[in-house]
Amino acid sequence: MASGSEEGFGFGSGSGDVDVDPSIAMTTDVELLKRAWRNEKAAPEILQFESNLVQRSKEQIQLMEETVEEYDGNGTDPLTVSLYQMDLDRTQFLLRSYLRIRLQKIEKYPTHISKTDTWSRLSEQEQKFAKRCMDDMEKHLTQSVLSRLPYGYQSILKQSISSEEDDMVPEPQLDTFVFCKSKVSLGAYQLDESGEDIVDFVANDLYVLRYKPVKPLIENGQIDIV
Amino acid sequence: MYGRRASQLLKDFSANEPGQISAFDTENFDQVIKECDAHHLELQALMRKIQEEGLDIQTTRNADHYGAVIHHLALIRNKRCLMAYVYNRAEIIQSLRWKVGPVLPEEVQEKASYSEEEYFKNHSAALESYMSEVELDLTVDMVPPKDPYTKVRVLDDIGDVFLSDQSPNLARHSIHFLRRTDAEQFISQGLMEELSS
Repeated sequence: MASGSEEGFGFGSGSGDVDVDPSIAMTTDVELLKRAWRNEKAAPEILQFESNLVQRSKEQIQLMEETVEEYDGNGTDPLTVSLYQMDLDRTQFLLRSYLRIRLQKIEKYPTHISKTDTWSRLSEQEQKFAKRCMDDMEKHLTQSVLSRLPYGYQSILKQSISSEEDDMVPEPQLDTFVFCKSKVSLGAYQLDESGEDIVDFVANDLYVLRYKPVKPLIENGQIDIV
Repeated sequence: MYGRRASQLLKDFSANEPGQISAFDTENFDQVIKECDAHHLELQALMRKIQEEGLDIQTTRNADHYGAVIHHLALIRNKRCLMAYVYNRAEIIQSLRWKVGPVLPEEVQEKASYSEEEYFKNHSAALESYMSEVELDLTVDMVPPKDPYTKVRVLDDIGDVFLSDQSPNLARHSIHFLRRTDAEQFISQGLMEELSS
């Protein structure tokens, strides 16, 4: 059991006592979770839910918890137990924080998310949460403001009935700048449509770019945001 | 001037420290609602006048038309201000769910309107049902853990409690060495303070 969780969590691999090939180390679930968490934290909009990864992480956390409990019971060196505990706490933090950041984005832009293709990026539970967020906010706004306004101005999505599009929906600012880094050299990448703004991605260099043009690269995992 | 009161509402709101709200300004809020009704009446009156003069309402561009447009825009501006006021307050109130837990602190409750309190309860319930579905409490572990244990001072008489690894008597002013995950809930409720080592 212990060795299973060591593999899963890369326990000690950072300190160099286990000989791990760096390319394998980069693909342990902890690294993947860390990456998903970092990307989610830095991206202005909600990203694809890593449902398999979250599921695996949960299972491994449970396994770790059992391991720690077992060690605690059978009188293993308290220092070892506390190191395992610390590793467990850190992974749990990563997972919680990952889910938390997503919920906070949903809280902020539920209507926008539900109207665009970002809706499919949510997990089933998140979709339920988003629906409730929308309903609760709508109820609150209707009760406080909208029901007291004259006819024709009561929509939550439109400023008035003469608006053709929904022009009252808060949406994330996709033009914001993000710090990003590429693992491999990607060569020249075009940032705008006219082709005047080209960036040459060199491996492990840090770039500050607008989120929108590099969005496809983040989505397919070619670059990470930090 | 049209819309002044509504923008004052927002100025008052943004004069607060970030993350703080002042009492719901019912008086000004109601006044702005009244302004909206007044604009609407004027707007309708002007529209009727155009129609009575036998002009086409879609294409007429006379003084009455522009008067109506101004009332329409003033109404929209007021609506946006009112919505922004309520929406931004709601955002602060909902962020408290993460910071202090499922019960609004008294000093916030005094400042919140009835609808805002209700919104907080509903939103809080939505979050709880999500957390029970994923079987994870997301309100703990708000800061990255450095050490699994932390030293805390108890600020209020809490009494005997069962924690994950011990059941200490948390008397006021006593100092304990607890698991971070256990201590966090007390810290966020203001019942303990963390002692930096």
